[in-house]
Amino acid sequence: MIPLVVCDDSNMARKQLIRALPAEWQVTITQATNGQEALAALRQGLGQVMLLDLTMPVLDGYETLAAMRAEGLACKVVVVSGDVQDEAVRRVKELGALAFIKKPADPEILRSTLLELGLFDPKAAPTTPATPAQSSVLDDLKVNFRDALREVTNVAMGRAAALLAKVLGVFVQLPVPQVNIFEVSELHMTLTDAMRGERMSAVCQGFIGDGIAGEALLLFHDSEVADMAKLLGWQPKDDNETSEMLLDMSSIITGACLAGIAEQIDVRFSQGHPQLLGQHASIERLIHLNQRRWRKTLAIEVSYSLEAHSIHFDLLLLFTEDSIKRLTHKLNYLMG
Amino acid sequence: MPAQIDIQEVHWLLDIVQCIDVGVIVLNRQYQVEVWNSFMENHSGMGPDEVHGKTLFSLFNEIDEAWLRRKVDTVVALGTRAFSLWEQHPYLMHFKNYQPITGQEDFMYQNVTLLPLGGATGAVEHICVVIYDMTAAATHKKQLQAAQANH
Repeated sequence: MIPLVVCDDSNMARKQLIRALPAEWQVTITQATNGQEALAALRQGLGQVMLLDLTMPVLDGYETLAAMRAEGLACKVVVVSGDVQDEAVRRVKELGALAFIKKPADPEILRSTLLELGLFDPKAAPTTPATPAQSSVLDDLKVNFRDALREVTNVAMGRAAALLAKVLGVFVQLPVPQVNIFEVSELHMTLTDAMRGERMSAVCQGFIGDGIAGEALLLFHDSEVADMAKLLGWQPKDDNETSEMLLDMSSIITGACLAGIAEQIDVRFSQGHPQLLGQHASIERLIHLNQRRWRKTLAIEVSYSLEAHSIHFDLLLLFTEDSIKRLTHKLNYLMG
Repeated sequence: MPAQIDIQEVHWLLDIVQCIDVGVIVLNRQYQVEVWNSFMENHSGMGPDEVHGKTLFSLFNEIDEAWLRRKVDTVVALGTRAFSLWEQHPYLMHFKNYQPITGQEDFMYQNVTLLPLGGATGAVEHICVVIYDMTAAATHKKQLQAAQANH
């Protein structure tokens, strides 16, 4: 039996990953929900091999790899992540990871990667691939709606980040996305709080498909727009040209994020024309929430920040109350 | 759309693309026109035979070439859609207002969507340009702004 650590903050991601392992691979699985727990498991000798996520709270994947190296913890690491930027792959390999697999992990790719690395030998495996240990692990893993949606978003935003990195030539830092169900009035307060009276510009785009509908809001901080233009190599002459730039950026980020989510839950979204909600305004002026029609909203918040630049984007995906049921259904399908 | 389209339905779909009141153009990577629907034909006064294989820039001098190329390059490189709004960019091609009696504007305000079309290899080999007539919305918005300014 090979001691294996599966490290990911999401129950759903661990479940998907454990399910994707070769059935006849003889392993004893230890689960960790962040890098700190993984390191503790390694120190106890519970990990000869580790499958490691990158975007995690407490201690992320990069920090975990660095800590392993500093402590001299010997473990063969395969990174399984939604952060698919070329630079992310390069960095984890530099930190000692043996391979990189993009999420959601394809069982075939996982198998061939483990074979290539010599971590798994099907000839050595017993002929009856009964692994009760694995299935009991799976039964114990409870996945709730928020966890599932967070993981789906995580994968989708990773793809958007990879595109952004390509256009801007930068490394995009990805936090764990927030998933919340708000009263609409609460949402307004949260936004006002978060923006602390800053001047903002916002682009909004509606989407709808398969009974799931909502709006994607991308918020830009005005103080950072000039830096963004520089990064893109544009010299906007006036507000009009700046608006165009914001519109183009939002098409990339929103488009890639929505496409990533749609693909995972197997729907196709129609997207409306984007709308510039306003420029140089406070958040209250930008967003007039329709409290009469919407009571509750499901909000996914993703903040992208660009490394070595003080540039952030806040992407908010707001789903209508009616969509929650349909989305739950779709996610249940994924969680299996 | 049905998962499987038979030949009869292909005819219908072509008819629909022809008759729908939005402009549909398909361009190859050299910006040469491959598809040109009736909206485009009627508003530009040029038939599909006249424009086929010609580059969009040679047909319409008014198109801001650097601007369009930049948008199209992103669509091709990333496979995402791109949009243009009449508020920032009033039109892609200058079409005269075709409502001479009631129309208040001199030209057609346009929203534009650029869609990546994948080839057999998965790479983006064609771009679909969709043009929406936004003149009515533009007129209303300008009237509203004028009314507010007078108060």
